[in-house]
Amino acid sequence: MARYAMVMDTRRCIGCHSCTVACRVHNDLPLDMIYNPVVTVGPTGVFPNVHMAHLPLICMHCDNSPCVDACPTGASQQRPDGIVFVEEKKCISCKACVMACPYGARVPNHEKGTIQKCDFCKDRVDVGKLPHCVKTCHQKARIFGDMEDETSEVYKLVNSGHPVRLLGELNTEPYVFYIVDSEVKL
Amino acid sequence: MSKNIDLEQEGIQVRKSACYFCHQNCGVLAYVKDGKVLDIEGDPDFPTNQGGLCCRGNIAMDHLDHPARVNYPLKRVGERGAGEWQEISWDQALTEIAAKLDKIRDEFGAEAVATAGGTQRTDDWARRRFMNLFGSPNGFHNSHLCWIPTFMVETAIYGWCPFDLDLGSSRCLVLWGQNPGVAGMPEMHHIMELKEKGLKLIVIDPRYTETAAKADMWLPIRPGSDLALALAWLHVIIYEGLFDPEFTDEWCVGFGELAEHVADFSPEWAEPLTWLSADKIRESAIMYASNKPGNIQWGTSIDQIGKPAGAAMHARALLRAITGNLDVPGSDLLTGPSLEYITDEEMEANDQLPEEQKAKQIGSDKFKMVSWPGYSRIAELTKEVWGKAPTAEWMCEAHPPSVFRAILTEKPYPVKALLVSATNPINSYGETKLTLEALKAVDFMVTCEYWLTPTAMLSDYVLPIAGALERPTITSSYGCADFLLASERAIQPMYERRNDYNFWRDLGVKLGQKEMWPWETVEDAYFAKIEPLGYGVESYDEFVENHRFHFPEREYQKYKRIGFATPSRKVELYSSTLEALGYPPLPPYIGPSENEVDDPEIAAEYPLILTTGGGHMPYHHSEHFQIKTLRFLSHEPYMSINPATAAKLSINEGDWVWIETKRGRIKQKANLTQAIDPRVIFTPRGWWYPERDMRDPELGGCLESNTNILTSCDDDDCDPMSGAWANRGLLCKVYKVTPENEKEAK
Amino acid sequence: MSQKHDVWGWMLAVDFFFAGMGGGMLVIVGLLDLFVGEGRTSLLGNLLAPVFIGMGSALLILELGRPFQALRVFVNPKAILTAGAWFMSFAITFGLVYASFGFDMFFWSKWVLARQILAVLCLVTGLVVATYPGILLGRHKGRPFWHGPGIMILFLLSSLVTGAAAHSLCGFFYPPSTLSDVLGNLPKLTAGLLAVQLLLWFGYIWVKKSGGTTAEAIATQRWIKGDISSSFQFGFLLFGTLVPLVLSLFSSQGAQAAGAALVLLGGVLMRMLVVRGGEDRTWLPGEQKYRSRLPKGDEVFLKAWNK
Repeated sequence: MARYAMVMDTRRCIGCHSCTVACRVHNDLPLDMIYNPVVTVGPTGVFPNVHMAHLPLICMHCDNSPCVDACPTGASQQRPDGIVFVEEKKCISCKACVMACPYGARVPNHEKGTIQKCDFCKDRVDVGKLPHCVKTCHQKARIFGDMEDETSEVYKLVNSGHPVRLLGELNTEPYVFYIVDSEVKL
Repeated sequence: MSKNIDLEQEGIQVRKSACYFCHQNCGVLAYVKDGKVLDIEGDPDFPTNQGGLCCRGNIAMDHLDHPARVNYPLKRVGERGAGEWQEISWDQALTEIAAKLDKIRDEFGAEAVATAGGTQRTDDWARRRFMNLFGSPNGFHNSHLCWIPTFMVETAIYGWCPFDLDLGSSRCLVLWGQNPGVAGMPEMHHIMELKEKGLKLIVIDPRYTETAAKADMWLPIRPGSDLALALAWLHVIIYEGLFDPEFTDEWCVGFGELAEHVADFSPEWAEPLTWLSADKIRESAIMYASNKPGNIQWGTSIDQIGKPAGAAMHARALLRAITGNLDVPGSDLLTGPSLEYITDEEMEANDQLPEEQKAKQIGSDKFKMVSWPGYSRIAELTKEVWGKAPTAEWMCEAHPPSVFRAILTEKPYPVKALLVSATNPINSYGETKLTLEALKAVDFMVTCEYWLTPTAMLSDYVLPIAGALERPTITSSYGCADFLLASERAIQPMYERRNDYNFWRDLGVKLGQKEMWPWETVEDAYFAKIEPLGYGVESYDEFVENHRFHFPEREYQKYKRIGFATPSRKVELYSSTLEALGYPPLPPYIGPSENEVDDPEIAAEYPLILTTGGGHMPYHHSEHFQIKTLRFLSHEPYMSINPATAAKLSINEGDWVWIETKRGRIKQKANLTQAIDPRVIFTPRGWWYPERDMRDPELGGCLESNTNILTSCDDDDCDPMSGAWANRGLLCKVYKVTPENEKEAK
Repeated sequence: MSQKHDVWGWMLAVDFFFAGMGGGMLVIVGLLDLFVGEGRTSLLGNLLAPVFIGMGSALLILELGRPFQALRVFVNPKAILTAGAWFMSFAITFGLVYASFGFDMFFWSKWVLARQILAVLCLVTGLVVATYPGILLGRHKGRPFWHGPGIMILFLLSSLVTGAAAHSLCGFFYPPSTLSDVLGNLPKLTAGLLAVQLLLWFGYIWVKKSGGTTAEAIATQRWIKGDISSSFQFGFLLFGTLVPLVLSLFSSQGAQAAGAALVLLGGVLMRMLVVRGGEDRTWLPGEQKYRSRLPKGDEVFLKAWNK
């Protein structure tokens, strides 16, 4: 059984927001909904000794996700391959998951009265394609793959010891990992 | 566009199109059914972007059928700028425009008609062809800001511009005033890949940009002082013995004169001018010169520093030559024009423009490098040695500010008509107030556009032009590369839009130029261009479908076979071409157009150093402000100011502030950041508010946050060689917006 | 567009208030019935307890994006909100049935054992309803002001004290069938609970500010000196806790009634402030700057160029 994961190489990311836009366009999102913002850490330091990194944020598809169990209707579900998604017709937008997610990954759709989020483009993944955000990135800063596959790039990267988890101390066990330059303090 | 489009359904055609929201022209696959584009995505097989597509490329569908697009020819029926239009047919529009231009030509001469362009998106060789046949030498773009002066100065020195960087085996890359992290996505990817393999990256930029953040060495230079840095680098490389003795001996003219010339331009001399420590200057020069082969990527920043621009380009160019980083593997390559396909220059019919008309090109008496005097001298040399000349539309143009002044003052002679295509000069040309005055004063204006921009609003006719998915595209670096990338159109133009090529052709036909326009469609013209490549295709589309691009065999050190295209057939460090044109043969030191050393009275009132422009996602120049999904991500303009400076001025994060120069003032929000020197202010370009009233005087907010209000086109501030006006390295002041000062007229 | 839309708002706070108060009232009813005797609380109070819980549920339903699908909340047993929904439903039912024992028109009104069983059921379900919102909030790893076991105690305490205050007020309007010291002692109980409340809140703020993570300290600063601080310090601590504490110690019924009313207002205010405190998430570096620069919703371009 696969376990999907993503690695963000912030050494390559230049904060161009292309992934954010590709996601919005292909998911036909209302204007105020963003699944995957790219935020900027810094510049920290004092001119000219400064550092800057860009953090592409996204649903972490956690193993120990606070959001799935928080959902009273069972709309929020996690597939065996780790992808967390919302079954729209069951969602009543009680926002329990919005409040529960430490990463801010869940986004209310005010037009429909439901909650939506990144689902790793599961319909594309199921037919062997890459998520839109991964494909559109010129810098190849987003790497997507199966952690159960030892030949995959994500497996190698995560097991090289470099990538970190955001808010790791909260024990949500996110499956999105970040490669960060040593000079950048998260 | 929803995510549920079945791209495998019956009747879907996949077209190999391109994005044209910037010069990279990333390959795009368009999924077309029944003449409608259902979806697009980056083409994974395209060599530059390999499936990637930036935020602008991703909104192509939004752009294609945006509610605010101009879709039908419009004729003005009310006052200029009142926005009252009558929809007419193309035929009527062209007939009337042709008649008017003919009349103006009869009364004032063909030179009274000028054309203004932006940053390609158009078949500029067709524009030039029309103008040559019509008899006017006064076509221009904002080429002076964008690589063109660099191209011509470098071609004067070594016979072509070495803009083809052979990065694969390079050891050091200098990004001099370039920010591919924002402006060139595929390029940035390539650079980072090589950096991971050990390429050293030096970034010269006043700001800590996206690219500077990835650099091995960042030189936070004082805006506009690039000339001092380049001269100091020359000094270090020569006097530390890091130059290439064989290359300079065998292939360069004037090394001795150059050495003497830069004797005093030490890093210590450059330190107070560049704000970089002498050690840093020395260290960076040594890094470039000793990590060979190395590259210096041209960036448009140096084209924009005004008075010192030409000398700075000249000095920077000499660096490649003395280190031998020229046309060898891993360095900057002189591709020369392509001998394998028909170049843009060959399609321009430059021989059709009479000599006495060429002599009337406005500004060419003063600014010779990118106009007929310099161009014809250089073209003659390149034709002799390479066999062909650089593209004239771009490399040989009228001087825009001088044309605007001619409209206003009738000196040197009246200019009565302006044909505008693919630009909104109110936003993008320097010294907005001058530009706006000229656009309002010109007798007759026609604008070819996607949108009803403020310039279009001031026009007499507005013609709807087809965009990237509705046109084929050949990418060949303004016709000056030896390779080309080819893309086909996804669909025929929607509504009544036409390709700009057809505008020039049809207008030309109405004016009696018919035999000179044998190609009916763009594809016909493109086929004529690529046919000599010998791929044995029957049509342009067939070439795209089956081949897509042409990269010739790379030949290094071509100079060994043909020499350099200069009078001496060598690299002229001491340039005889520049000398013949009346310019210094070696780069003198010139301070920035406005600076505290040479202009203390100005600096007393305007104590901060201003740099403007600088690309920023998700926009490109003044484009995409109407695309809501992009605008949502960056809906207000932010200028950059150091927190220490902001504190002194009582400015907090997010405050609206005025940025003012001698030319005028604009307001933007304050972004307090350590990415910039406390003495420097940065204002991004392009800002306008297309959701506002487009009519005069609101003009879509083009006068509120548009950084070109601040820039200078004064002859004295322009580069004496090319006339490039001053966008960067200016003097400014910053103060908070208050209800009281908002009402002041400035 | 703005953040306010995307988090729990005042409706949930008021829901927590009514549900908590109703739950606390049921706890008091249950305890008194089992250990003191029947009829010690006002019939009005007995009736209002389940009604308040019902009002809380109604508000909860209105807060939903799709209120007509509200029944779906009962589905997922792993979710605290589901458990809460079930317990609220039971509490309302048991509370109403228990209250019915106070009306002679019902034939079961004299069945003592049944009443006592219901009293137990009211006690248990009331306790759960009074506590579970605090547990719900306390489990939020991503909401630093809420995270931890402390908030559960503060909510239970508030539910009990507002329950006591509500019973007092009901007793003034519609005295209980069995006159005793209970009604007279409710204000003392209220005062005692308020004293504990005051102490625990100081403790909570202190621990959150100096004994926790940086995110907790930042979130708590709003309560010490920030946008929440004056409402919290003057509205809740002073007028919602200390003043009613003093008033409850007076023997005059008027003072006690005023005190009880202030307790209720304090209870609503406290929960509103806590819900606001939940706006602070475990922000990722750079995230707040990004979000603060997004459009607020009134910008002109948002409405332009609609097809």
